[in-house]
Amino acid sequence: MDELIYTLKQQIIEALNLEDMKPEDIDENATLFGEGLGLDSIDALELIVMMEKNYGIKLQDPTQGKEIFKSVAVMADFIAKNRTK
Amino acid sequence: MMKHSVIITPEHVLVDGNPLMHNEKGSASLTELYRNHIGDYPKFFKMDTLSKLGFIASELLLNAEGNRSFEPREDRAVILFNRHASLQADTAYQATIQDPDNFFPSPAAFVYTLPNIVTGEIAIRNKYFGETSFMVIDDFDEKIIIKNLENAFQDPITKSIIGGWVDCSDEEHFEAKMFLMEKEI
Repeated sequence: MDELIYTLKQQIIEALNLEDMKPEDIDENATLFGEGLGLDSIDALELIVMMEKNYGIKLQDPTQGKEIFKSVAVMADFIAKNRTK
Repeated sequence: MMKHSVIITPEHVLVDGNPLMHNEKGSASLTELYRNHIGDYPKFFKMDTLSKLGFIASELLLNAEGNRSFEPREDRAVILFNRHASLQADTAYQATIQDPDNFFPSPAAFVYTLPNIVTGEIAIRNKYFGETSFMVIDDFDEKIIIKNLENAFQDPITKSIIGGWVDCSDEEHFEAKMFLMEKEI
């Protein structure tokens, strides 16, 4: 799981153009939106695309994102259980 | 009355006619300018090249004006012109949908596929609630641009304008000629 979390942090930094940020700078338990990384609604859509592209996970209900994108750790857990590639 | 001007090309930057030194070329020079002269707006890194260009030009212009204030105001308009609309962003977005076997439309690329987004970026950054518009014309034509900006002053609310030319065909070819004008009373 640690390896997936680290890879996920790298993919988030790349997908969302979080310049100047390294995987070590992201607390996997911190909230991604609002106070945490301060991501916005476009970032949420980009994360949905990233999950489909890298892990073959297609969210049928976009409102699921609210729960799945709570933190990197929650996201990694969801990916581990649902990935198709 | 023109108060300040900024010219940016991949090779050089002039603020009120004075060169601003930088080492990088092409779009990397915009990032260098951001790091050296701005640096407090991470959303910059998410922008397409046209918005980066317009954002940097406006920041240098407003730094030249001095007394930066981020208080909401309605009396400053943002009126820009170019030739290539949002071509660079359009191309970047197209690349995400070109291959049917690798079809992942990027929302972050898509949101920049309109040239007037750059006027919005400048207005959001500075809390401008006045007129914003972006016009696509054949080529840089100072007469057309000045005429349109003067017309904008017919509006009783507009007292100053960030205006001019912000054009980008790809990451290595761009040009901004932006100025700050104030209404003559």
